[in-house]
Amino acid sequence: MFVLSMWNLIFLLFFSFSFILFFSSMLFLNLSYSLYLSWNIFSWGSTDINMIFLLDWVCLMFLSFVLFISGSVFYYSGEYMEGEINLSRFIFLLAGFVGSMGLLIFSPNLISILLGWDGLGLVSYCLVIYYQNYKSLNAGTLTVLSNRVGDVLILLGIVWMINFGDWSFVAWLGSSNSLILVSALIVLASLTKSAQIPFSAWLPAAMAAPTPVSSLVHSSTLVTAGIYLVIRLGWVYDFWMNELLMILSVLTMFMAGLGACFEFDLKKIIALSTLSQLGLMMYSLSLGLVKVALFHLLMHTLFKALLFMSAGCIIHGFKGWQDIRMMGNMMISLPFISSCFVVSNLALSGMPFLAGFYSKDMILELSLMEELNLLSLFMLFLSTGLTVAYTFRLIYYMVRRDYVMSGSGNLSDGWGVMVKSCIGLVTFSVFFGALISWLSMDVNSIILPKSLKNLTLTVCILGLILGFFMSQSSYTFSKMKFSLMIWFSGSMWFLPYLSSQPMTYIPLKLGSEIMKFGDMGWLEYLGGQGISSYISNMSLKIQIMSMNSLKVFILILWILVSVFMFF
Amino acid sequence: MSFLQTSALTHQQKVKSLYKRGLRLLEMYLHHRHHFRYNAVLLRAEFDQHKNERDMIKVKKLMEDAEYQLWSNQHYQPKQFPDSPGGVAHGRVVVPPDWVLDYWHPLEKAMYPEYFARREERKAEYVKWWNSQYGEPEPAGDKAH
Repeated sequence: MFVLSMWNLIFLLFFSFSFILFFSSMLFLNLSYSLYLSWNIFSWGSTDINMIFLLDWVCLMFLSFVLFISGSVFYYSGEYMEGEINLSRFIFLLAGFVGSMGLLIFSPNLISILLGWDGLGLVSYCLVIYYQNYKSLNAGTLTVLSNRVGDVLILLGIVWMINFGDWSFVAWLGSSNSLILVSALIVLASLTKSAQIPFSAWLPAAMAAPTPVSSLVHSSTLVTAGIYLVIRLGWVYDFWMNELLMILSVLTMFMAGLGACFEFDLKKIIALSTLSQLGLMMYSLSLGLVKVALFHLLMHTLFKALLFMSAGCIIHGFKGWQDIRMMGNMMISLPFISSCFVVSNLALSGMPFLAGFYSKDMILELSLMEELNLLSLFMLFLSTGLTVAYTFRLIYYMVRRDYVMSGSGNLSDGWGVMVKSCIGLVTFSVFFGALISWLSMDVNSIILPKSLKNLTLTVCILGLILGFFMSQSSYTFSKMKFSLMIWFSGSMWFLPYLSSQPMTYIPLKLGSEIMKFGDMGWLEYLGGQGISSYISNMSLKIQIMSMNSLKVFILILWILVSVFMFF
Repeated sequence: MSFLQTSALTHQQKVKSLYKRGLRLLEMYLHHRHHFRYNAVLLRAEFDQHKNERDMIKVKKLMEDAEYQLWSNQHYQPKQFPDSPGGVAHGRVVVPPDWVLDYWHPLEKAMYPEYFARREERKAEYVKWWNSQYGEPEPAGDKAH
């Protein structure tokens, strides 16, 4: 009798929905069809409170990708999280996360977007603090507080949008500049969720979460929520914050690319690569390339989830080690997983005809056709080169070089659940780039001179050479000393320290002063305890007065006589 | 000595600790085994050069210089074992201490009567063993708060 485990059931459910939604999105795209579902919840006079869902090809396609990755992650978690005490909590949190993401994707108005947005932030916090150590607690606090800034900005946007009478941004299609402030607030909010500078500190820290969480949440869904929101707005408003968005995105790309070149924690390298790709998506949005940004977002979810899942298999095999200095020789010991790892890395670096190539190359070539300043173009291509560099450095450390770790026991692939869950993603990482570009990307022709056309390939080859030399960096013994520049580059330009400790020091100091002179000082007299003792004293005095005491009678008599004498 | 002594290590222990930390530092910087092995041999040779030194003032100066060199060349991302303090997997599952069970409500304890009965027996045995080993405690009297 064939018995389905819970993980298999969830995977089949999500996969089937994903299948249906993908083909529905193709149908909607073909027919230029959108479905606007509205339920009236409350109506009072001229005020209508409606629950609205907008179904068009964008949200159907994105949700199909999200459900497919979620299903794979659920299936993967069946083996990865085996033996965990709090497994039911994990399942409910992941399911809640997928629900919040669905609500965000289908919502065309800010109120329900906020519900999904806040749900994502809250659930991601609970997932990051899943492990009960201080590292996870600190990471979770950093995550939730960074996301909270975005929540507040969206709330401000909601408040301002009351002026316009309707929170649905689809109601303002083709409008003039009346929604400048709202769009600015929402774009700023998306910077927090998508971890752009100065809100980048939380993403590498959030790698304290279990690997399935990183695979689903911190690579494919949560971080892309900000990009998705700006994409939805992109079809409605003109961007007037393009310059700011471009500067921040380019700086984020560069910082993350540089950091990944000097980082040794496997999950943090992948987190920094996610950060770099998010910067690239924001960059394309700043150029007004909304459809291309969506394309890269979709492709990125596929190969990044695969990358995290392969990394999880590797970490599992190396008994919890995440340091790439202790890894190596995986092409012999873990051939299938290392193949998935290499395919996802190659897709990430834009290897021709893999998934990432179609989207990334399109962004780079379209940006060359724009009238941009030389510095931003230089930084864009430098970051692309750095992407290839850290990718090949990682591949060298993990796959190619000799085995370093001694006494680690048996290291092998096996045909387990974790390995099987990567099959779908690796297939899509290879074929889906071409498929989606043929089906849905009707981009204008790209006309470039030969030198600019070859620029991307040249930069990638240079990045490859740089990556090779970086992986050989320990060759020269004379470099074996502490370097401030390397520490600066590898620590994300000290952004985690700058954005956390100075921001919290003054409020903490102020809080301790208020605690001392307020809570433990004056409020002892003026607060609950003081009032309570005052009332009890007064009631005691009143009791004495009502006990028919002679002194009280004489006092009252004296007061009455004095009053009569004066009047 | 004018400062707080936090450990009482022999000279041999200090030298061995320094040597091991030196090797670990080499592991952090040198990611290829043959590079590490070459430099580990050089490090060992440096230690062996002074192994028969009898002048303790000179030895102390060498130790201080070596500790300073180790500190000034520390790696910005030290390699830590996953389950050790500071590692990525340290403290992931927290086992509550045994005394937490004493604070359970009687109705909660009633769900596991045999376990708590056995636990009380074990506690009584432990107290008896302790008193036999270290003597009965003094009664608190007026000092109790």
